[in-house]
Order: sequence, then structure tokens, then C-alpha cells
Amino acid sequence: MTKGVKLAIAAAAVIFLGAIAAIIFLQRPAQGTWVEILQDNKVICTLDLSQEPDRTFRVEFPEGGWNEIRIENGTICISDADCPDHTCVHTGKLRSEDIPIVCLPHKLVIKYCAPPEES
Amino acid sequence: MKTKRLTELSLLTAAALIAFIIEMRLPDIRIPGVKLGLANIFTVYAVYRFSGKEVFLLLVTRIVLGSLFSSNLSAIIYSLAGGMLCLCGMLLLRKIISESYLWLCSIFGAILHNTGQIGAAVLMTGTPAVLAYYPYLLVSGCIAGLFTGLCAQFVVKRLLNFRKGKTE
Repeated sequence: MTKGVKLAIAAAAVIFLGAIAAIIFLQRPAQGTWVEILQDNKVICTLDLSQEPDRTFRVEFPEGGWNEIRIENGTICISDADCPDHTCVHTGKLRSEDIPIVCLPHKLVIKYCAPPEES
Repeated sequence: MKTKRLTELSLLTAAALIAFIIEMRLPDIRIPGVKLGLANIFTVYAVYRFSGKEVFLLLVTRIVLGSLFSSNLSAIIYSLAGGMLCLCGMLLLRKIISESYLWLCSIFGAILHNTGQIGAAVLMTGTPAVLAYYPYLLVSGCIAGLFTGLCAQFVVKRLLNFRKGKTE
């Protein structure tokens, strides 16, 4: 085993353990009730989940396509979409403060955010 | 000789595509970008058997045809970004890591692949929040890279025995 191989094994181990530590750190449950929906990094709407009635609505993607977003008992998820991979639907409900729901083909992101300041 | 090389490369590309299509049939994992990357077995093998240019051709052909077969053309940007970074890294690493530690090279390949993917995703969506998935991709990348690397290692070993058997 050469020095290079030993170094490489050590580096791989550090990356692996570092990533596990980061995952544990990222598992913060949601603290607020405000969520924002972003498309192409622009906020298209901000919602207070504790106030929203149960409903389902569609977000259209300008270049073609849609995501169906469902709000139910203070939770939010993408219930259906016409993107090819459906990863956003499989992600399920938004749970963690840090991990957003992402639909890459439609550049759509749903994540928790700070409550807007009252004006 | 040139024709033989070309045939070998085509055979590897075809085998990689078959692995890719088999993998499409496996159930989805809830985290975007997490994959076993079976096709990577052939890339890692090729990195240790062919020149950089040849592996590049193999990988690009596989990615373009793969996205056509899966009818997921929007994924091509992520696959290409990940694939190219992975390839560059492995071509550099093959100078440091000998063939008997091929699995190690594969782990770094997978890590770099996921790095390229998430980089492309951040650029495409313009949303740094996507980075939250990076640790998940790294953990799955290490495991998947180890798995595909070991598979490639077995292939190398078998082929070596096969060639020995033929000359004896």
C-alpha cells in the first residue's frame, strides 16, 4: 500500500464521516410554519401553513409543465407533477428546516422561511 | 489493432447502457440524485484500460444515449456535469492509485460525480438551498462508489485470469 493510497483512504473516510455528521446536523425539525415557494430562485408565494385551508393548486412552469402542490393539516407536499423523474413527488411532505422539496426539471423549490415582517 | 480497440469500447458502451437501463427499473429513492450508478462499473474499468480520450468518448456516448433511452433529456446537464468531473478526477487518480485499489478510485469518482451534479443543480435552479442534499449524496456516493468499484475490480480480476488461461 503506497502513501498515496493511504492518503486517499483517509480522505474518503473523512468525507464519508463528515457527510454523516452533516446529515445528523441537518435533521432539525421544522420550527416555523411559514413556507415559501420559489421558481427559478424567485419567491412566487409565501404561505403560513398554520392558517392555510386544505387545498390543492397547480404551479405552472413557464417553459411547459406543472407541479400540483397540496396543503393538508398544516403540511405541504408536491402531490403530482408532469416532470420526467417525479423525485419531487417521492420526496413527500416538507419536514426539515434545512432540506427543501426540489423539482429540478421545473426549477421549483419549497422550503421553510422566516415569517414576513408585518408592515 | 484500432478496430479491436473500437470494438472493445463499443462493447463496453453497450454493456454500460444495459446496466443503466436495468437500473431505471429499480424503485426510486426519495432523495434526488441518489443512484447506484451501475453504468459506472464500466467507466471505472475503462479508466484503467483505455486512454483518457477513449474513456471520454465512451462516457459521452453513454450519457447522451442513456438520457435518450430514459426520455429524461433535462437530466443530461446534471449527468454531464457529474460525469465529466468524475472522469477528470479518476484520470488523475489512476496515476496515484494502482489498479489493485481500483475500488478506491471509484469512490472518489462517485464523490466527484455527485459534486458536479449538485453544482449543476445549484447553477440551474439558482437556489443554494439545493445544497442541503449534498451530504446525502456524499454518503450514498461513497457506498455506491465502493459497490461499483468492487464490481469493476472483480471484472478486472476475472479478465486477467481469462487472458492467462487463454495463453497457457
